[in-house]
Amino acid sequence: MTALAKRYWHALINQKKLFIYTFLWSFFLWITSPFLIILLKSVGRNWFGKRWLPPELTLDWYKWALTIANIPQVLSNTLIIAAIAVTISTLLALPTGWALGRRKVPAKEVLTSIILLPRMIPPIAYALGIAQIFYRLHLVDTHLGVALAHVAICAPYAILVLSSTFEGLDERVLEAAAVCGASQLRTFFHVTLPLVLPGILSSIIFTFTTSYNEFTLTLMTYGPHTITLPVRTYLAVGEGYWEVTSALSIILIIPSLFVLFMVQRQVQPEKLVGGFKGV
Amino acid sequence: MDDNMIELRNVTKRYGPIVANANVNLSVRRGELMTLLGPSGCGKTTALRCITGQVTPDEGRVFIDGVDVTDVPTHKRELGMVFQNFALFPHMTVYENVEFPLMIRRVPQGQRREMVMDALRLIRMESYAQHYPRQLSGGQQQRVGLARALVYHPKVLLLDEPLSNLDAKLREEMRFEIRDLISRLGITALYVTHDQAEALALSDRVAVMNAGRIEQVGTPDEIYESPRSRFVADFIGLSNFIRGKVLAIERGMAIVAVNHIKLMVPAAEGTQVGQDILVFIRPNDVRLFPVDFAKAENTFEGVVHKLTYLGDTIDYRVIVAEGVQIRVQTDGKVRFNAGEAVKVCLPEARCRVILE
Ligand SMILES: Nc1ncnc2c1ncn2[C@@H]1O[C@H](COP(=O)(O)OP(=O)(O)O)[C@@H](O)[C@H]1O
Ligand SMILES: [Mg+2]
Repeated sequence: MTALAKRYWHALINQKKLFIYTFLWSFFLWITSPFLIILLKSVGRNWFGKRWLPPELTLDWYKWALTIANIPQVLSNTLIIAAIAVTISTLLALPTGWALGRRKVPAKEVLTSIILLPRMIPPIAYALGIAQIFYRLHLVDTHLGVALAHVAICAPYAILVLSSTFEGLDERVLEAAAVCGASQLRTFFHVTLPLVLPGILSSIIFTFTTSYNEFTLTLMTYGPHTITLPVRTYLAVGEGYWEVTSALSIILIIPSLFVLFMVQRQVQPEKLVGGFKGV
Repeated sequence: MDDNMIELRNVTKRYGPIVANANVNLSVRRGELMTLLGPSGCGKTTALRCITGQVTPDEGRVFIDGVDVTDVPTHKRELGMVFQNFALFPHMTVYENVEFPLMIRRVPQGQRREMVMDALRLIRMESYAQHYPRQLSGGQQQRVGLARALVYHPKVLLLDEPLSNLDAKLREEMRFEIRDLISRLGITALYVTHDQAEALALSDRVAVMNAGRIEQVGTPDEIYESPRSRFVADFIGLSNFIRGKVLAIERGMAIVAVNHIKLMVPAAEGTQVGQDILVFIRPNDVRLFPVDFAKAENTFEGVVHKLTYLGDTIDYRVIVAEGVQIRVQTDGKVRFNAGEAVKVCLPEARCRVILE
């Protein structure tokens, strides 16, 4: 804390720095304050009126969430759906991304725009169309059905990330491997794969978090057997229990934070973006 | 035949309408450093890629060490290659990069370590073993590229414009470093470049390439002193070309008429009386004398049209007969002014006939 105070003291001397620090901290507060409020709400009791902090702390709301909102089931639905969505998106995006990134594809720009279309049009409109089709195919209220709906917006992400990953792969480095004596198979395992792995990983993380947090598309395709965390949280709002809803939100957030933390530690961000671009 | 380590025999490669290599014949002798010299886009890389196997010729055969390798895949050709853009593996350390060819060949661990360290010592990069390529300068990266190419003692070293991504000063330094390394190892090397100074400084022999064809092969001296075509002469250095007609050939000397003056020039093979030819001479081989200088061989009166001061040399444009302008470069000792009458001497032994 004293270090921070010192820094501010120095910043005061330097107007420009002061401005930047103030800006950064405001931004930080603006992003984190909603989170802080639901965190307090989820552990507070008898917190009404204009008081800044809850008078009593409790974990009751979390117990409620686990039992009444049936969290274990809901969480497992969410994870199963996310896993299916990630798998299908990645399997679709690997060859598509390769073609877009490394081959001469006619009308590449048009094709890319079409692939990105599901991300451009309003999700609710898109979700309506999907719902209509899925009712006919009896895909509504199945894990596969909800996951397929998610694929519509996960796959474009994956294709975008992977095509730029593959585009960044330097052909000449692969040729160098061949001249060094490596067969195609060994070039793939020793050079190609390690170079594209960070990109594939970041694509998986993107698609996972997208599916995990997806609300609109789930809302139009879920049923009693496929309630996911975001939908359950939304339903809790309707039921009117703010404290339980807050607890649900916190539970919803934890895995995302976990993933974020893992990404920061395991995959250095610079490797995700430019690392595979070569020299 | 057996003396050739690399041989391209009648190699032709087309890309659609573009003929990248047109009936190329090229032999690199065992232990020789040959450069393939030519302007950008003339097909040097294509020829090299025919040797590595990344390009399959439409016609012709490729031999390495007397064996026809035209249908052998790249990874089985046992070559070392240095790339223009370095092409190091960005996810591997310097050590791992150099180790890669040995790892692929399953060389035993202990021996492998020794060979890698030997190669790193060769390029004075032992202390950088644990660095990643992106942490190195261009020159250092290229030295690692060299170590990776040499580590498994390949029969042949190929270098595709290895210095052209480096700045001028470093280029000059590394030129000699590479020359030194190659002659120390006694390895056969084919060095591709578009830089004529580099080619002359490095090579045992130079092959000059133009528009998919090999124009001339020879020692740097032969290529510089006796270019066989206008292209080679022009590409290798500054040139005067004087258009004339062969009047007679006497005892190996051609008498060439240029407007009203006559030049004596050693006749090239195939020179015929009555033929229109070019007389070629380098600007620094032409002599300038005061106008009262006694007459000597191939000496004519002229007027200094223009001069440019270049520091250690002075560049004169002298007009001899009407419309014949000769470029002369002299050291700064004797000076003439623009407009001054001079005697221009084209020493017979320095002139060449170029047939078009
Ligand atoms: N893969 C290719 N596809 C089409 N044209 C090519 C290809 N590679 C080379 N070329 C053409 O062949 C010619 C020779 O190219 P290259 O061998 O790379 O020349 P250099 O190495 O001398 O600069 C150029 O006109 C180039 O455009
Ligand atoms: Mg080239």
